[in-house]
Amino acid sequence: MKIGVFICHCGENISRTVDCPKVAEVCRNFPGVEYSTNYKYMCSDPGQKLIKDAVLENKLDAIVVGSCSPHMHERTFRNAAISAGINPFLVEIANLREQCSWVHDDVEEATQKAIELVRMALEKVKRDKPLTKIKVNVTKRILVIGGGIAGIQAALDVANAGYEVILVEKEPSIGGHMSQLSETFPTLDCSQCILTPRMVEVYQHPKIKLFTYSEVVKVEGFIGNFKATIKKKARHIIDDRCSGCGLCMENCPIKKKAYNSFEENLAFRPAIYTPFPQAVPNIPVIDETICTHYKNGKCGMCVKVCDREAIDFDQEDTMFVADIGAIIVATGFKLYNIEKKSSGSIYKGYGEYGYGKYRDVIDGLQFERIASASGPTSGEIKRPSDGKVPKKIVFIQCVGSRDESKGISYCSKICCMYTAKHAMLYKHKVHDGEAYVFYMDIRAGGKMYEEFVRRAIEEDNVKYIRGRVSRIYEEKGKYIVKGEDTIAGMPVVVDADMVVLASAMIPHDNAPLLARTIGIPYDKYGFYNEAHPKLRPVESTTSGVFLAGACQSPRDIPDTVSMASAAASKAIILFSSDQLEREPVVAKVNEDICQGCFYCKKVCPFGAIEVKDIKDINGIVFKEVAYINQGVCKGCGTCTATCLSKSIELAGFNNEEIFAQIAAL
Amino acid sequence: MEVLRKYASELLEKKAVAAVIGYVRVSDKRTRPAIITNPEDTSSLVFDNYCLNNLSVYLTKARIKALCRTSDKPMKLAITAKPCDVHSIVALIQENQIHRDDIHIISFNCGGVVKDFGLEFSKETLASKCIHCESQKPVYFDKLFGEEKKIPAAEDKQLQKINEIDSMSTEERFEFFKKEFDKCIKCYACRAVCPLCYCQRCITDKTIPCWIESSSHQRGNFSWNIVRAFHLSARCTGCGECERACPMDIPLGLINRTMAIEAKKSFSFVSGRSLEIPTLVGSFDVKDSDELFM
Amino acid sequence: MDKEKWEPKIAAFVCNWCTYTGADLAGTSRIKYPSNTKLIRVMCSGSVDPVFILKAFERGADGVLVSGCHPNDCHYNAGNFHARRRWDFFHKLLDFIGIEKERLQFSWISASEGKKFADVISKITKDIKSLGPFKAYKQMNSEFTVNFPEYNESSNSINKELQ
Repeated sequence: MKIGVFICHCGENISRTVDCPKVAEVCRNFPGVEYSTNYKYMCSDPGQKLIKDAVLENKLDAIVVGSCSPHMHERTFRNAAISAGINPFLVEIANLREQCSWVHDDVEEATQKAIELVRMALEKVKRDKPLTKIKVNVTKRILVIGGGIAGIQAALDVANAGYEVILVEKEPSIGGHMSQLSETFPTLDCSQCILTPRMVEVYQHPKIKLFTYSEVVKVEGFIGNFKATIKKKARHIIDDRCSGCGLCMENCPIKKKAYNSFEENLAFRPAIYTPFPQAVPNIPVIDETICTHYKNGKCGMCVKVCDREAIDFDQEDTMFVADIGAIIVATGFKLYNIEKKSSGSIYKGYGEYGYGKYRDVIDGLQFERIASASGPTSGEIKRPSDGKVPKKIVFIQCVGSRDESKGISYCSKICCMYTAKHAMLYKHKVHDGEAYVFYMDIRAGGKMYEEFVRRAIEEDNVKYIRGRVSRIYEEKGKYIVKGEDTIAGMPVVVDADMVVLASAMIPHDNAPLLARTIGIPYDKYGFYNEAHPKLRPVESTTSGVFLAGACQSPRDIPDTVSMASAAASKAIILFSSDQLEREPVVAKVNEDICQGCFYCKKVCPFGAIEVKDIKDINGIVFKEVAYINQGVCKGCGTCTATCLSKSIELAGFNNEEIFAQIAAL
Repeated sequence: MEVLRKYASELLEKKAVAAVIGYVRVSDKRTRPAIITNPEDTSSLVFDNYCLNNLSVYLTKARIKALCRTSDKPMKLAITAKPCDVHSIVALIQENQIHRDDIHIISFNCGGVVKDFGLEFSKETLASKCIHCESQKPVYFDKLFGEEKKIPAAEDKQLQKINEIDSMSTEERFEFFKKEFDKCIKCYACRAVCPLCYCQRCITDKTIPCWIESSSHQRGNFSWNIVRAFHLSARCTGCGECERACPMDIPLGLINRTMAIEAKKSFSFVSGRSLEIPTLVGSFDVKDSDELFM
Repeated sequence: MDKEKWEPKIAAFVCNWCTYTGADLAGTSRIKYPSNTKLIRVMCSGSVDPVFILKAFERGADGVLVSGCHPNDCHYNAGNFHARRRWDFFHKLLDFIGIEKERLQFSWISASEGKKFADVISKITKDIKSLGPFKAYKQMNSEFTVNFPEYNESSNSINKELQ
């Protein structure tokens, strides 16, 4: 085998501490090296041409490039190899910049290490096997999980590109948190007014199949070839018969047994209900836990009033299996549970603010409902306890966010803005009211955001106090808010009529469960991890699974929508070809010596390993061996290390190659 | 003894099993394994304190497995197994080497066995695995014989030795094992006799790349013994056959038992005790200790 | 051998996604650390076989580091969890056999922890320096008369080192 060694100076980045000509010189004498040279910029066009010419001239079989990190230019040099007619996997990079010249000062020391690094790469490349990219078919249908604004946007984008979409929402209606909001910052346009048309568009789109009141329970397969099992929970309504007239809801005798979670528990709902009047689809569900029929078999009021005979008490959960090619996860967020200090949870709660104890201490979403024209107070600002108009409201920012002692170290991003909005809305509706905002910092990064906050302070005269609130207690119908003004350096006491807590955005409780179902990683809070924080923000590390919206980290609506569109375009890119190529770094089983203990199957994080029967000439199974589905395998190699008889090898990183590197240490 | 013979003979006559793997007497204090396919031969079957071998090692052998396919329909294998041997069988089932339905376990209430053939059974000659035995009753069986017996109490010398080694300095420990491993002649008797070393091609037989140097040089000996111990850690059921088979008397049991103690201490796991509990290898807990990691 | 001039040889098996990238970050941030450690890139810390470590010792390494992504951060979701269990056993086994605990170290270094990478490398280099050359294993090499089939030079250099 003839190997070429190419040492890059990287301008002066490498050559400043590594004597590149010397490295090239020493390497020329290593066994197997046919050609060795150094050049100022190997990644430049002339540099690549130099490699190509050297390969052709010396008939090289493999090349080693001593340059920057393989994460930087491995692809560049592999492409150069392809153009010179060498298999791209017969290229090895010795990391002479990030892991040598930049971290060592002494020239002699760095040069010596550089020689050794090249030697290790040389030994590996000698044992590298030519590999070819793997091709897999693509099912051009997408599963969108979550019917909030992120899911709606993603579904519409993919559907408008002409591909089929399955949209799954766990609630009876799509819309998500955005449908609960009153008006949106910084333009103060009505949330429902801009969202509802989109919801209807989703419902009517011929390419979108909508599954509300449904959950994804199982995901198998791999990019381009997933199989998702969707559980459609029993609504007890026959979908296509219901006209959405709402008579059943009006006539349901159970009026005050359950809070309406859409109204953030500020109102009640009947046993048969739609979460809100504009629900899409406008088909109610029956809450079995409170419906009289499920207690004693009586009532049946809804059945009597429904002239379309749409009520079916005996309906059961149904399961669907769908073939899909990609998944967009857009499951959103929930608010930090302020009152509870459940043991074992990482979240500690805010007992000192009395949420849950005092009815007029509410969270941000509850205020949204109070301020909403379609909310329980029809948009009038009233206290939940007695319905009086509060004359003094205290808004507290960063309740949970940026507070490590309460379990969250991150900033929830939206609270500064929505608190300003709340204060503004309040002042617009209660002209003689006073609004106080306790804040830590104002983070108003975004188009027109800073101006919006200034408007609240300057035009609407909202009083901003920099400092934290230590305690809230009730005294003679007032809520005494004890805090500190850190700018004035003195304690502050406000006797408020109502307190609004801007609580942190956190992932749903079952976010980790869903992550494990799909097979995507998540952080300690349960937010889903992106593949790269900067360059691959909407992809998960599992190929074919994309992320949109607040399930990945706290986001506002514009961010969420752009992320959803980005995720959709990633999916569309995937669907634009019939077959997709992937890196051939996958594990392969030597079936002759596989003993079939299936420890590999147990450790495989992706379920890529299947049982394969080896039959004798009569068709009788005499041995079971492991079989690795090349489409599913991601090439982590955990199976190779677990395999006791060493029957699995990871292409591109096989044991022989690693042993050779060890030997050349 | 008679009931066992009768039972085994009936199994073979009914063609319920293809063969009975059992012990037959060689001399007064010596037995040997036997694969019995003829009902008449069952008359030599025995079970007593001299049945040392862990017969489950035969379950994975291709030639014995082939016996099950000699007639039209696949047949079971019957095996006489001490309660401790059943642990090996459990481990083999968990590792997909045999299926529970394919074997018929004939077990006994065990009263301990001698540590080697030719010795008179007494508390002094008790096998070390019996001294700390916690399972005189089999965890799984299809037929159980014998009354409950008591194992004579004896000093746990193996544990004492482990504690002694633990209290040594690192250099002393290295010297101790260097001396022991130095004796290794790479005969692989430990591997041949181990029910869980079932790989057709062992890691040490692989030459491209060469995982373990196979000449009986010290460095290869070290690799072999470390890798053997590692491959069996959290899998070894502690039958002690490797130590007994070792012609050079390398105290393999010390290492195996230390690893078993660690598995129990860190993960409350004992290999081969239950088919329901997942194996330690191949599973993980997000709450595992992070102590080792910087 | 002159102990003053002796420099330890350390092998580090690092995962491609976190620790290798973390090492790159240490470079981009120009954080200096000793040059004794050389990285062998693998896809996941879960793919590092204990035999790799024995091989490294056999080939004259004085210390070995295995490093991967933090728990829950694994690029492959769970590879590092399996690795953690494996190393727990292997480390205890080596300790029992009489190999100094500091010879084999483990760490979790994420792609954003360039500083930590440099610190870990400095620490392991310091630890190994204070332990001295891995004589116990090298002794066995010197007694070994057959050269390695794969790479002759390295074994020769070990022998030279001991003379």
